[in-house]
Amino acid sequence: MGDAMRDDVMKDRTEQLVDYIMKKCLWQFHSRAWDRTRQNEGILTRTRQLLCGEPVDISTPEARCYWVDAVCMADAFRARYAWLADMSRDEIAELMQGLHERIEFLTVTGSLNLELTDQKY
Amino acid sequence: MPYHLFKCSECIPEREKHAVIKGPGETLADALPLGYLNTIPGTISERGCAYCGAKHVIGTPMKDVIHLSHGPVGCTYDTWQTKRYISDNDNFQLKYTFATDMKEKHIVFGAEKLLKQTIIDSFKAVPHIKHMTIYQTCASALIGDDINAIAQEVMEEMPDVDIFVCNSPGFGGPSQSGGHHKINIAWINQKVGTFEPEITSDYVINYVGEYNIQGDQEVMQDYFKRMGIQVLSTFTGNGSYDGLRGMHLAHLNVLECARSAEYICNELRQRYGTPRLDIDGFGFEPLGTSLRKIGLFFGIEDRAQAIIEEETARWKPELDWYRARLTGKKVCLWPGGSKLWHWAHVIHDEMGVDVVSVYTKFGHQGDMEKGIARCEEGALAIDDPNELEGLEALDMLQPDIIFTGKRPGEVAKKVRVPYLNAHAYHNGPWKGFEGWVRFARDIYNAIYSPIHELSKLDISKDEIPTDKGFVTRRMLSDANLPDKVRNDPNMRPYTGKYDSLVDLRGKTYPTFEPQPVAV
Repeated sequence: MGDAMRDDVMKDRTEQLVDYIMKKCLWQFHSRAWDRTRQNEGILTRTRQLLCGEPVDISTPEARCYWVDAVCMADAFRARYAWLADMSRDEIAELMQGLHERIEFLTVTGSLNLELTDQKY
Repeated sequence: MPYHLFKCSECIPEREKHAVIKGPGETLADALPLGYLNTIPGTISERGCAYCGAKHVIGTPMKDVIHLSHGPVGCTYDTWQTKRYISDNDNFQLKYTFATDMKEKHIVFGAEKLLKQTIIDSFKAVPHIKHMTIYQTCASALIGDDINAIAQEVMEEMPDVDIFVCNSPGFGGPSQSGGHHKINIAWINQKVGTFEPEITSDYVINYVGEYNIQGDQEVMQDYFKRMGIQVLSTFTGNGSYDGLRGMHLAHLNVLECARSAEYICNELRQRYGTPRLDIDGFGFEPLGTSLRKIGLFFGIEDRAQAIIEEETARWKPELDWYRARLTGKKVCLWPGGSKLWHWAHVIHDEMGVDVVSVYTKFGHQGDMEKGIARCEEGALAIDDPNELEGLEALDMLQPDIIFTGKRPGEVAKKVRVPYLNAHAYHNGPWKGFEGWVRFARDIYNAIYSPIHELSKLDISKDEIPTDKGFVTRRMLSDANLPDKVRNDPNMRPYTGKYDSLVDLRGKTYPTFEPQPVAV
């Protein structure tokens, strides 16, 4: 597979995962930019770790709360997207990195929500 | 995602930034309606005020409380009883409402004496109730009555009572949402941490942003109890005053309506380290996932799984019966705030209807982000619409049904569009597995009601058929169904009871051995 074609495949797969998150999840839409960045980091990092078979930190209530969203999402990804089973660990890590950047853009850096920068809840 | 300016609003061009159509391939970063702004002069909004948001939406569902408005009697009358947030203590909070009944002379001379006497009289009138919430209104805010000082005086004179003061006058925000915010912050500042309820389980949650509309809270509480989870407090439907004072002791905040109650969850996370888990109580798949998440958090996923399997086996054949008859029907999903995103995707996925428009009366841009993300391409999203825009949208979209409040709902009826009450429901509860089937049944009954066959006729010009008599919903809904679907033995219409709550009250639950878990 050529680089351009590979990029297209990764982009298409990233968008499929984005569509799942946008339709099925709520965690990405907390009310402040810093909150969303924290959510994205906490949940997408753990989802990547689960999909790549890496250990996951669940040592605190907050970490455990991120983990439960990650478990449900990782299970849904595996059930819905058969192509995930054919990807190597490195490819999954790359895919999840791209997903993290895309979600961060859509919910934080590229978001048109004017309330995200309020200092208080 | 182009912005959309209604023809009727061309004279109010600022309205253009409040509506968008979700275009193919476009994202939330392309266009997003403005939200949570003061209503533009000239557009007649359907919103409520910040006092209404604090009292009517958030405060009053608390069940063991005297809810007292310090203001003209109209303020309390207009926020009394119109939302069906029932309770398991004989609906005390729905039966009674209290007000100081301020008059012009109190505006001139002050109303603090009147307030104090009304507080005392109210406690004497219902001596078994020892808690009170007092709501400021525009009138008492403008004259500067010190409600907190009066409440403190009474609490010193009557040591067996406790009073909460909510300073959220009607003008305290662009809409009722300003009141949601104020009462959230006031409650955590004044009351959380002042009472320690008994902890009876290893797994303790606050159920937040749930208002027990027609029993929603009791349905969800049943699932939690079957999992061995203690619902320490519900903010605020069917919730008790003391339970809510003890919110700081829970292990997890389970958040349903983020629009009205995320503030207190966020503050509990900041101040007490209690994590916030957002859930969906509507729809088989979202509800199942939500129960599973809570189970995972406490290490009791198997208990959640057992409930999901049992409830799905019981109710899925009935949901499928309605889905077969609702597929392709067009819906305008026009609720107040959170239901636009709670329902936008799942009524499409599980009932087969197409959401052609979402709107929110008082939602913020965050609600629109969620709602637009979840609905399908081509949907029209509107913030804070006025009545003319609503009519224009109905004419443009030709929906089969509209889910909204009773004011725009009655308008929709006049243009012959059936409506369901998205705020207070028709034959709820609509949460839970059975509740979701009840919702589908209400949609079916509304769309296929034979009355609409008649109402679509205009007696001034249409020929009125006199040779057609009796017709039923079933005759209408099944007319074009294939035999295979019509006679499918795996599907059936709703078989639950008229009152689905009756068996929940007084039910006994299993006890579980403690399972150590790192929370």
